[in-house]
Formats: sequence, C-alpha cells, structure tokens
Amino acid sequence: MTAHEVADPTGGLGAEQVKACCATGYSSDLVTLLLGSSYHPGGTTLTRRLLDAIGLQTGERLVDVASGIGTTSLLAAQDYGALVDGVDLSEANVKLACGAVAADLADRTRFHHGDAEALPFPDGSCDAVICECALCIFPDKATAATEMARVLRPGGRVGISDITADPLRLPAELTGLAAWVACIADARPATEYRTLLEAASLQVTLVEHHTHALDRMIRQIAARLDLLKMIARPRLDELGVDLTRAGSVLDAARTAVRDGILDYVLVVAEKP
Amino acid sequence: MTTRERDEVFLELTRSICPVCKQTINAEVNARDNQVFLRKRCPEHGEFEARVYGDADMYVAAQRFNKPGTRPLTTQTEVKDGCPSDCGLCPEHKQHACLGIIEVNTGCNLDCPICFADSGSLRDKGPDGYEITLEQCATMLDAFVAAEGNPEVVMFSGGEPTIHKDILAMIDLAQERPIDAVNLNTNGIRLASDKRFVAELGRRNRPGRRVNVYLQFDGLDEATHLSIRGRDLREIKQRALDNCAEVGLTVTLVAAIEKGINEHEIGAVIRHGLVHPAVRSVVFQPVTHAGRHVEFDPLTRLTNSDVLHAIGRQVREWLTVDDFFPVPCCAPTCRSVTYLLTQGTPGDPDFGLVPIPRLLQVEDYLDYVANRVVPDYEIREALEKLWSASAFIGTDTNDDRLTKIADALDCADACGVNLPEALTTITENTFMIVVQDFLDPYTLNVRQLMKCCVEEITPDGRLIPFCAYNSVGYREQVRAEMSGVEVADVVPNAVQLKPLLVDSRYGSKQVPR
Repeated sequence: MTAHEVADPTGGLGAEQVKACCATGYSSDLVTLLLGSSYHPGGTTLTRRLLDAIGLQTGERLVDVASGIGTTSLLAAQDYGALVDGVDLSEANVKLACGAVAADLADRTRFHHGDAEALPFPDGSCDAVICECALCIFPDKATAATEMARVLRPGGRVGISDITADPLRLPAELTGLAAWVACIADARPATEYRTLLEAASLQVTLVEHHTHALDRMIRQIAARLDLLKMIARPRLDELGVDLTRAGSVLDAARTAVRDGILDYVLVVAEKP
Repeated sequence: MTTRERDEVFLELTRSICPVCKQTINAEVNARDNQVFLRKRCPEHGEFEARVYGDADMYVAAQRFNKPGTRPLTTQTEVKDGCPSDCGLCPEHKQHACLGIIEVNTGCNLDCPICFADSGSLRDKGPDGYEITLEQCATMLDAFVAAEGNPEVVMFSGGEPTIHKDILAMIDLAQERPIDAVNLNTNGIRLASDKRFVAELGRRNRPGRRVNVYLQFDGLDEATHLSIRGRDLREIKQRALDNCAEVGLTVTLVAAIEKGINEHEIGAVIRHGLVHPAVRSVVFQPVTHAGRHVEFDPLTRLTNSDVLHAIGRQVREWLTVDDFFPVPCCAPTCRSVTYLLTQGTPGDPDFGLVPIPRLLQVEDYLDYVANRVVPDYEIREALEKLWSASAFIGTDTNDDRLTKIADALDCADACGVNLPEALTTITENTFMIVVQDFLDPYTLNVRQLMKCCVEEITPDGRLIPFCAYNSVGYREQVRAEMSGVEVADVVPNAVQLKPLLVDSRYGSKQVPR
C-alpha cells in the first residue's frame, strides 16, 4: 500500500477546492500574521543554496513556480542575473510582486497569474525551474512535475525545496485543513518527491536535508503568536485564532520534526 | 613503527603573547573534543595552552558573522613592530571604535579579589595610583570625537569612577560633545547611599543625551559576593537599583562569571533584571584573567559558549542558545547578543517574552560570507547596529532601530495589525542580553584583537583596544607615565605558573625580577 492509497489526501474536499483554499490561504491574513508575507523555511539563505545547487547562471531563463510576492524571483534576477518568470495562483500576490520590481530589474523579471498544473510557457523554453515550499500543497503533484519538465530545455535543471512528511505517521493535529496551508498535511516523504520527478522523466542529482529550517519555522510561528498575544489580542480573536489549539498544533509539529516524521529537503533534478 | 593521528583539528595560525614576558609569539588554534584551544610557545617560558571557546561547532559557525570593518577618521600611531605592539589605533587596525572607555582613576572603594584593572583602595593611596584631571578628560573625549566624528557612546570607568570628585563635570564634558550616550561603570556603592548624586545623573539623562548605569552585579548569593567582591553587597545593589529606578535611569547588570563561583547564577541574574524596573539589559563576562583574580586553570576556563549554554539550561522557559547571534562588528566569537520583547513582569499571569531572533531570520542579514545581496538593506543596517558593541538599550538610536525591525515583521497592510505602532509601547520593554569574553594574556589572539571595537582612551589621546590594554602591558605603561613610578608587569594567576609567581602589593601576581 502506498501513501496515495491511504486516504483521499484532500480529506474529502476535492482537489479544486483545496487548491483555491491554498492560494487564498497563502495570501490570507492569518498566514501573513503567522509567517509574514513571503515566508518559506530557511529564508533567503536556503534560497541561495537552492539557486547555487541548480547552478543558476547569468542570463539563464528561470521559472519560479508559486512565486508568492516575488522575493525569490527578484533575488535570482538581482543577484544571479537570471531572466525570471514568476507564476502564482493568487492574483493579489502577483500584483504585489509586480509592484515590487525595481526599475533596473524590470527587463529581467515578469510575474504571471497562473497555475502550476498548466504553466503559461512553451515546451523547452527555459533553463531552470524552482519551486519553494509549494509542491506539498499542490493536489496534483504529478501534473505539476510534468509541467516543470515540459517547460525545461534538455539539460535544464529543476530545484525544489519542500516539507517532507511520512503521512502514515502524521499525528491527527497536523492533517486538518488549517494545516494544508501551512504546507504540512499533504507533504510527502522525500523518496516520493524523487519518484515524482523521475516519473516526469527527470534525473534526480541531489537530495539534501535541511531539518533545521523547519525547526526555525515552527519557532517563528510560535514566537509571532506569542508576540501577537502581547500586542494584538483583539485581532487574533477577530481572526478566530484558537490559542490553545494553536499551541497543541505547534507542539505536535515540533515532536514530528524531532521524530523524523516531518523534514525539509532540497531536491535537484536534471532533464536529460 | 606506525604513524599516529593527531587528536585535534588545526584551525588557524595566529599571533599571541607570552603571558609571562609579553613577547609576541606565534600561536595555533585547534579544535579538540568539540572545544577550541589556543596554544603557543615562548622560547624562554615554554608552552601555554588555553580554552578559548567551549563549543567548536559554534566557534566555526560564528565566523560567517564577520562584517567588513570601517576605518576610523584618524589613527594615532604608526605601524612599526606589528600587532599588538603598535597601539593604537594604528593604520592596520581593521575596525573603528564602537565604544570608547575612559578610566578616570585607579582608586576604588572596594578591594575585590577579582579586578582586571587591579584597582583598589591601596592603589588609591599607593605611589602608582592616579586620577585624570578635567583637562585630561577633555583631551581624551576630543581624541575620541576626532577618531569617530559622532561616537555613539563613551563609558566612564576606573577604578571606581563615582568617587572621582569631578565625575559629573566629566559627564557634562561628554554631553557637550557630539557623543550620544554616556555609560557609567560602577559598583553602585555611591548610587546606593547618595541620592543627590543619583538625581544629578538622572537630570543629565535626557533625550539625545542618555546616561545609562553599567552596574557590576555578579549574582544574588552571598557566597558569590564574598568570592568576587570580598563583601556582601546585596543590599547595596538593591538600593542602587531602586534609586536609579526612582529617577528614571536605565541600568545594565554586568556579571563577571567565574568557573566554580557563580556559573549557576546566570539565569537568576537574567530573572532579576527582568523583574526590576530600572534594568533593561544584562551583560555576562567570563572573568578576564588579566589584573587581579583568583587562581584559575586556563585549560578549563569559562568561555562565551559555556555562558550561552548555561543560559539555555537555566532559563530554558525563555531562551535557547539559538536565540543568540554573534556580533559582527568585532571578531564574531568575542561577543554574542540577543534582544527580547517583554510585557509585564515574570510571575504575572500574562507575562510575555519573545526573543527577536525568533521573529526574523537574522542570519539572512548578518551572514556576510553567504549574503552578497540581502533582502532589505535598511533592516540589515538596523540589525548591524543592534548587534554591535555600541548598542545600549534605551538610547534613542537603539529605539529607532528596534522600530525598523518591527517594520521587518511586515504585517501592517496584510493583516490589519500595525506591528510597528503596537510595538512602540513595547520598545520600552525591550531587554538586551550580551555575552562578552575579553581576551587575556593566555587567550589573546591577534586576529581578534585587530578587529576589536572597544577601545581604552588614554590620557595622551590614543585609542587602545581594551584587550590589548589589559593583556599586553599598556595598562602598566600608562600607569607608569601617569604616576612617574615604574610599574611591574602583571602576570595571570594561572595554576600552571604558580612556581614562578609572587604577590604584587595590590593582590595581583608578578614574576620577580
């Protein structure tokens, strides 16, 4: 029995509903409140590691799948000299990203409202694709992987950083809808991400574990909650944050990281 | 015969000094049993080794937090014999002065068993004691301003600066110059008994010209006081703190931590600081084995990482080792800092405490090796200034920087909470914890010394790195120049040197000539 067969990974909601929920979730007030507007584990330090690991060169065409408000795309354009197309399912994010483009980067960065399962680019049109902490929330991961492979030229690289989870051992607190947007409930084991990329005819060249980044994320959420408790209690109540429950979810996440049920990996693959 | 593996990782070749004759000699830094040691050999006095960092992983990881230095506006000496013989500052020094220290006297109203300055009542009356005049103080302040332009902070120290008859006038001299803040380094005895003096300090503490009290505070146990200060000063410390709170003076608790004496009180000092309304910061300094101190073993001495781990154990409900980051303006293993946002008082049911480094990824900004481009330069600048030797809590510039950091938690537009605004009240409740290990004749490493940003200002207008001043013999030279009496070199009271040592008349050790 594989993890896929365990249960409906969307918890009976259906793929479309979950996808819409994730897109709004990532741009929702609550997630911004807990993570800031452009958060992913490891911060820009791990982003640089990812861009180094795919060997991004000046002048290369990079697609940033689930580009959020554009922080990584802009870093790749500014620091690596790449020509970047960011794609995000949230229109609000795309607007924010477009607004953040400095004049000197305007010819090197574009942002598109679009779906990871139907990337708005021709076959073989780019040198590299990255997807940070987003594959785990895509309901149809296989199609997303196939799309990444499709837009790459032969010899092109894909770099993914994502939460991994052992779904069979995930505690109940971490499988509800609220956890979907926090990238946890449909995260897969590292081996499955590898299989997913290989099924899309990509060759995996690197799998790196960054457990510490996940510890940091949980610590940050806990700290922001503590801070908001101190200075913005009414706003938390308004958003319906159940502080007791939030505490037990964070505890469960910490334990799961310690027990190796949750992890953060960086995977690099190449299109032959 | 078979070859044998070495039991240590060779990290670095540097220069140091012989702790006995103070000659400059080569030194190597090695990692062994996940600790870091500095080893050196003097042709005359043999081999010396000292523990310089208790956690080799942390030592290596810290090296990334190394900000390229800034040149001071002026230097005072020429390069002749090389570091550490040309202080200073000489043109080869890698960093400007974040903090300038003026020692106004050598006398003290205490005779502590531990005193890196080897000060005391004997020195007060002794032939080689001295105190500076107001004119000398002005010259020293001018030298600091000439080197820095607009220095953030000057510290008055001693001896015991509060027993200098002109100390208030000296603070006035500092405040007349473009120097943002004054720190008064004191044992608190006068603050406890002389309310008029405290009121005078309070009167001088005003926006743009802050006065902060840097209060020696080693712990809350009687035994700690007796071992380190030779007297139970607990009531005096409490009265000093209360008197400062009464006039709105902020206080930094400064604890000298010695192995086997008060390591167990680190958490208690943090707690005490969080509870007392005057206290806004706490500084832990592993005892500097320069000047006068109790007998110690350099191979097991305390280091920054030991204090950091002790914090993680003793106040585990609030802090972990990961909440601290190295200060990048000096050598990154010299000083680690964290800031806490707090609300209420420990023990209150709604007491809140959040370490700032948990709220944003500090290494994205202060890792100078990886980050050629950072997410936001304004935030980097604010973090650089907060994580520096010139950062003192309660100064207006420090508050501005904390507000910038609140901006970085970006929330205003998206989530309907204006964090920066909400935090303005909380800025008043920001609490800083500093861990600082000074170099001594055993641990001195020229690589660190060359980037030191804490300088002793000498009466002849030089700026000498604090650790060079204490370790290399500059303190003795200045004392001799000021008093006209020859002053013997002080030698560390290390267990390994015991057969060589005799007592000086001040309780420190020297070798007979």
